[in-house]
Amino acid sequence: MHFIALLTETANQDLITIVPWTLIAQLCNLGLQLFLIKKFLFKPVREILAKRQAKADEDIRAAEAAKAEADSIKSEYEQNMLEAREKAESILDNAQKMANAQSDDIIKAANAQATAIKNKAEQDIALEKRKAVNEIKDEIGSMAMEIAGKVIEREINEADHAKLIDEFIENIGEKS
Amino acid sequence: MNVDITGPKILYETPWELPVLGSFKLTETILISWIVMAIITGLCIWLTHDLKVEKISKRQAFAEMLVETADKFVIGNIGEKFAWLIPLVATIFSLSIVSNLISLFGVWSPTADLNTEITWAAVVFVLITIQKIKAGGFGGYLKSFTQPIPVLTPFNILSELSTPISMAFRHFGNILSGVVINGLIYGSLILASSALFGLIPGAVGNILSNVPILAVGLPAVLSVYFDWFTGVMQAYIFCVLTIMYISNAASEG
Repeated sequence: MHFIALLTETANQDLITIVPWTLIAQLCNLGLQLFLIKKFLFKPVREILAKRQAKADEDIRAAEAAKAEADSIKSEYEQNMLEAREKAESILDNAQKMANAQSDDIIKAANAQATAIKNKAEQDIALEKRKAVNEIKDEIGSMAMEIAGKVIEREINEADHAKLIDEFIENIGEKS
Repeated sequence: MNVDITGPKILYETPWELPVLGSFKLTETILISWIVMAIITGLCIWLTHDLKVEKISKRQAFAEMLVETADKFVIGNIGEKFAWLIPLVATIFSLSIVSNLISLFGVWSPTADLNTEITWAAVVFVLITIQKIKAGGFGGYLKSFTQPIPVLTPFNILSELSTPISMAFRHFGNILSGVVINGLIYGSLILASSALFGLIPGAVGNILSNVPILAVGLPAVLSVYFDWFTGVMQAYIFCVLTIMYISNAASEG
């Protein structure tokens, strides 16, 4: 280039020659540059790349862990839901059964009570009826005795008398 | 107007001399290499300061892209077991590309000095040899020179040595050719400019003929190919050859 021509007053190395000192110097330069480039380019960049890799790995691991946790929570929740539903069903079933049984009991008890009341009423009625019949029997007996005594005016045999009355009442009773 | 293509300036020469090595000469190559290294290192520090795990800046994204590109380049081509090569390949690539392109700022390109490429190629050659010895053992490595027949041994040695030499000269030649062609075009355009405007008579012609009007524009366009394209291409080719030779060496034996 032109500046080379302009600097002819200083000494120049030959164009193609081997200078041992320059070889040594360039070898040292190459080694030094190798060291510098390793130290200032490769080492820091590789460190940061490794760090990023580690961070990405960690993030993925964390995400996987979170997903596993979420899955387990979900399955647990589903399990719980299933159990709760089963429980609710069983509670409902039990309640229904219990209600049925209770209503049955109540009905049965009511029936039994009604029957008992009816029976008692019938008994009472029968008792009252007998009482009434007996009263009427006594009345009629005494009335008949009076009437008969007055009609025939004589004392009939007591035994015959009672027998007659009984027959009479019996006849009435059957007819009534 | 002379177009003078020479090697790098010698900025300083030590008064002392060592046997064999001679006196140490601080050339432009070495000085500009330090500037290149300062640029690369400064860029690395700027790119990787304040790195974050999340919500990264464009600057950090670019730094990560550089590292990932280097990873992909080496691992994608020759596999995971050569991951240790990534920083070296990245270093050679960045040194090469910045050295090639720094000539755009009008300074001496360290890669226009053969010594730079020889050094890189020698490092690659050492790695190739280590891989071969690792793969086949030292005996296997020596024996591989006598394959397929012992007569070929000299040629095998030549071919082994030609690997780093061809790598170094390929890179060097391409960058130097850019320097040479740009110099020639620049010089010839200045000459053409002064000749063309010298045709204008009078003082106007005298002034205009001394201003290199034609040298504006065209060299910039041509430098897109000779500096930019060649510079990026040669850095890439050097790195591809580096990883290919080393991976081939490991699979041999």
